[in-house]
Amino acid sequence: MKRIAACLLLTAAASAAHAASVTLPVLVPLTGFLAVEGASQRNGAILALSTPPAGVTAKYDVSDTGVSPEVAVNALERAAGDKPIAVVAPMLGTQMLAMLPVAMEQKIPLLTISGTAAITRQGNPYIFRFFPDDATTKIAQVRFALENKGVKKPAVIYQTTAYGQSGHAEIVNALKKAGIVPVYEEALDVAVKDMAPVLAKARAAGADSLIVHLHGGPSALLLKAAAASGLGLPIIAGSGLSQPSTINLLEPAELAGVCAETSSSPVSAESPAMQGFLDAYRRKFNADPDGFALAQYDGTMMALEAVAKGATTPAALTQALSSGSYAGLAMTYKSNGRGDMAHSAVIICYDGKSRIPKVVAHYTNAAAD
Amino acid sequence: MRRADAMLLLCVAAYGAYAFAAGSSYTLRVFSVAGIYALAAIGYQFIFGQAGALSLSQGVFMGVGAYASGILALRFGLGFDAALPFSVGVPVLLALAVAVPVLHLRTHYFALATLIISQMVLLVAVEWQGLTGGANGIGGIGGITILGMPIRAGWPLAATVWVCVALGAALSAWLMRGRAGHAYAVLREHPAVAGAIGLDGGRMRLAAFVLSAAFAGFAGSLYVHVIRVISPDVLGFPVMVTLLTIVMIGGRLGVAGAVAGAVLVIELPEWFRPLREYTLLVYGAILLLVVVAAPGGLVGALRLLLPDRAPPAPPALAASPALAELSGLAALSGASGLLLEIDGLARHFGGVRALGGVSLGLRAGEVLGLIGPNGSGKTTLVNCVTGLVAPDAGRVRFAGADITGLRADRVAHAGIARTFQTVALVDDMTVLDSVAIARPRTDFATARAQAMTLLDRLGVADIAQRRCGGLAYGLRRRVEIARALALQPRLLLLDEPAAGLNETEQADLSRRLRGLAADGAALLVIEHNMAFLAPLADRMACLDAGVLIAQGTPAEVQGDARVIEAYLGRPAAVSRPA
Amino acid sequence: MLALQLLFNALALGAAYALVALGFVLILNATGAVNFAQGDLVMAGGYGGLVLARMLPVPGVVLLPLLMAGMAALGLMVALVAYFPLRRRPPEAVFISTIAIGIILQNGTNILFGPELARTPALLGDGEFRWLDGVGGGLVVSAQSVAIIVVAALLIAGLHLLFSRTQFGRRLRATAQDREVASAIGIPVDAMVAATFAVGVALAGAAGLLLARGFFVTPNDGGNYMLKAYIAVTIGGWGSIPGAVAGAALIALFEVVFPALPALVPALGGPAFSQNGATIVLDALILVILVARPQGLFGEASKARA
Repeated sequence: MKRIAACLLLTAAASAAHAASVTLPVLVPLTGFLAVEGASQRNGAILALSTPPAGVTAKYDVSDTGVSPEVAVNALERAAGDKPIAVVAPMLGTQMLAMLPVAMEQKIPLLTISGTAAITRQGNPYIFRFFPDDATTKIAQVRFALENKGVKKPAVIYQTTAYGQSGHAEIVNALKKAGIVPVYEEALDVAVKDMAPVLAKARAAGADSLIVHLHGGPSALLLKAAAASGLGLPIIAGSGLSQPSTINLLEPAELAGVCAETSSSPVSAESPAMQGFLDAYRRKFNADPDGFALAQYDGTMMALEAVAKGATTPAALTQALSSGSYAGLAMTYKSNGRGDMAHSAVIICYDGKSRIPKVVAHYTNAAAD
Repeated sequence: MRRADAMLLLCVAAYGAYAFAAGSSYTLRVFSVAGIYALAAIGYQFIFGQAGALSLSQGVFMGVGAYASGILALRFGLGFDAALPFSVGVPVLLALAVAVPVLHLRTHYFALATLIISQMVLLVAVEWQGLTGGANGIGGIGGITILGMPIRAGWPLAATVWVCVALGAALSAWLMRGRAGHAYAVLREHPAVAGAIGLDGGRMRLAAFVLSAAFAGFAGSLYVHVIRVISPDVLGFPVMVTLLTIVMIGGRLGVAGAVAGAVLVIELPEWFRPLREYTLLVYGAILLLVVVAAPGGLVGALRLLLPDRAPPAPPALAASPALAELSGLAALSGASGLLLEIDGLARHFGGVRALGGVSLGLRAGEVLGLIGPNGSGKTTLVNCVTGLVAPDAGRVRFAGADITGLRADRVAHAGIARTFQTVALVDDMTVLDSVAIARPRTDFATARAQAMTLLDRLGVADIAQRRCGGLAYGLRRRVEIARALALQPRLLLLDEPAAGLNETEQADLSRRLRGLAADGAALLVIEHNMAFLAPLADRMACLDAGVLIAQGTPAEVQGDARVIEAYLGRPAAVSRPA
Repeated sequence: MLALQLLFNALALGAAYALVALGFVLILNATGAVNFAQGDLVMAGGYGGLVLARMLPVPGVVLLPLLMAGMAALGLMVALVAYFPLRRRPPEAVFISTIAIGIILQNGTNILFGPELARTPALLGDGEFRWLDGVGGGLVVSAQSVAIIVVAALLIAGLHLLFSRTQFGRRLRATAQDREVASAIGIPVDAMVAATFAVGVALAGAAGLLLARGFFVTPNDGGNYMLKAYIAVTIGGWGSIPGAVAGAALIALFEVVFPALPALVPALGGPAFSQNGATIVLDALILVILVARPQGLFGEASKARA
């Protein structure tokens, strides 16, 4: 009798591992200045959650975290009440910093694509970042500028936001390692309209190129102004320029010769699998995906695959994510021991005829530590 | 406490009890955050509610408190309690620095000035990366510790926050009890009256502004240890809008409003989560609805629904001191020489001459009637004497001292009281309190007893407990004169006291004014009503276009050809100077 | 040549800001209240232009009158829900009711159009004229910038004519000067205030259409425009119409020319000339103006503020 009962229990356990039902809430900024990026995060996550691996069903609820840390923390506390296996967490660094202590208390893994370097340096075992951190992407951006564009006297233009300041520090760092000091640096508020003064100062400072790290809208304004003034200098931009919604506002001619870093470029569809993702995304959301959407898709999928393999508790999932490796569509993800899962970035360039960029270089952060 | 306020606090307490009983860390966290905003909102009520000045820097004071506490925790390992002198002190210092240039500005300018200062602080926090971590902020700030003892998240944290709210609310209620609350009501509703009854409006606004900053700084230091990051978000305009919304929805006055407003405004978006992207839209619509439908916020609406039972009985008249003892007017009746000397007083507004060098004198015990067509400068003369308007030229001497250009409240303390052309009483205040507030240098209970004597003297003791809003015009006039007398003035300036009174009331008022003069006070009475003024005045003077054209006995002045011409020759004077 | 280019850019930007500030100051004069939704109404004008462009594939200059008519209707609605119920209350009440309108507009557009950047059609076309290409970067004048300047100038001139030459305009002005007197001499004050809201919001909408081509539009843009209008009106003198235009021009100069001074005059430099530095310098300047010259740079001291 006892033996039969044990047998039954084992079977039940085994089938649970194969037909797991998990809750995985999506907490992302849908209002405020990061709403575009937040929407990409949401879409990527939803695409994964609505097509989970066989045997897994995922319940999810989408919550807007706005841009304030307080709302994000409230959202996480609220989600914690539903016993989630993990949560998709916002890409805004300050929100992540505020959520980390709560994740620690509640023992919930956070799946994010925030690039802010500091979030994986707090010694918190519950953070998993599926986007290359700023160091990785900025090293790629600077290396491409130096190696492919022969940049010697760059002007560095960045945003006064968290995204901008964090990336700026890494750009200056990477340039310094190559023995280069920018001839001109300027931080711009997101509300700056006319880019002519910045371009004029960069030119007056004798810059031979612009290394840009701005959000989507300001990136587009800068490119328009550069094209209008016939600047004629190479422009190597940040991931803000890889978003299709931004690119659609520019004429292909205004993009001629412009390059940008990002984690991946799904619209360039480098592989058949990526093409599949692109098609599915377009069907579901009637929009083009960017690198953020794909990174969040990959990250969510890695978690769901781990669930399918039996990691059906937050603790087991945390363990699986921190030790496992996953071949996603954009790259292969593996933790460096701190929760940094993505270690490579790409450079995309526009040819001036099409709004679809070509991936011209892959960089893997060898010193992924 | 009013019944409505107690009711609101009970509702909040009931919700709090539910939050503690339910015990989920989510409910308790949101309730803690609501408590933090409640503290900042209680502070905001000082400047926006009590002083009536639309400050848009309360959010930044809270943010600066948060930064001070957070940075001290990260750099020097200071706990929440040890850092308090700084997290409260730094916003207070900022408020003091800001107050000097902008606190005297009027509504829209003050609002813009505080908004711009907030923008500058935000820019500095973002740019000064070495200290503040810039836009990224800094994480890893510890939770609240008190005397080295860490306060756990969940109910201990919520309890700690709400104990702070209770202390803050008690402190606010204590500060605004009695005289102070009434004084702020006068300052808010009738700033000119505040000066005229001896209240230093500038100092009161400063006190309110600094208190606001102190409460905000305290709230900010709680915030940073609950959210555990410093980031520029706490300095941003949305935090300010949240505080403004709390106070508008809860009520600008009364701590119950701030507390209930905070709980509602912070909890509401959480309750509306199922509405998803419509949450903020609905939030905006509710704010609009409340502003339109309930101007006094929850507190105001509830106070209408739940009016207070009969107010406490006024002090018995028998216990009131006799007037002579109170006013000390009789002691002055023997004074000789001129009490008030006006010499060559002039004032222009833009290109218009309101006063062109007027000289006048007034003895103790004398009633001077001042007449003149509309716009001839009568009210401007009174405004110049009482310090409401600074003269361009000329001197004013009172009881031998030069008081030219002295601030209104100092003029009042020197012994000059006035009434206004349009009666300026606070509708929501009782008659007794309206008068008692003008009694200088006494505790409020004594002031109220003395005010009863004055009300009795003007024949309105029976309405002492009525609120001023519902009074008939003649009664309001008398209350206003009683309030002026509460200053124990040696000189009383009355601006059209008989306007709107019927003949019986006029006769009664005239008799009472003569009585004051008999006690030794000097009276300057502006009037158009000759039937009232001529029997009352010892002397009369007539102004025309800012120049004195006649003075003498009432009969002489009324018979003066130039006076008659001034009144009859130019009947179409357009408007009165305010 | 660079100086000329920057001045031209500043002129185009200042012209659009002037429309925002004018709408703001008209409503301020008529009601004595700050319309804090003015910036969000500019943003709404941008999206309104977008909707019209989807329905009618014609150049922006044809859409402009349609948009302004629609925005005037929106202005009436704003007056109806956020001003008239509060007209006997202290001005702060309208301040807050219009903040609520702003929140509603911002989140409404976010729901309807999404957070992505959007762009309105060009007024005439996207052509540009270039002169002296070789000399210091040359001078580039886009058709859109010229159209902005011309349209803004026409609207400002039209406003001037409306106020000085028509019975309607004189009534509006009388209402703005003193509502009680206007009412006493038989002017329908409420109708005039409503008309002012219609005109003021139509101007905000026009500015939205002009700005959202070159500088795009997102639902979050309102606050920034609001602050600019508020500052322009304060610099120019509370209630002064020429002052508002001058204030808008000064803001544009601070955004476009001031931060570029180091490129024009190599001796200049330092943090004050960074974009954020320019904002702080402008902020400090406004505080000085508020404290030292309360009537504004160009205004008369008709309405005291302290």
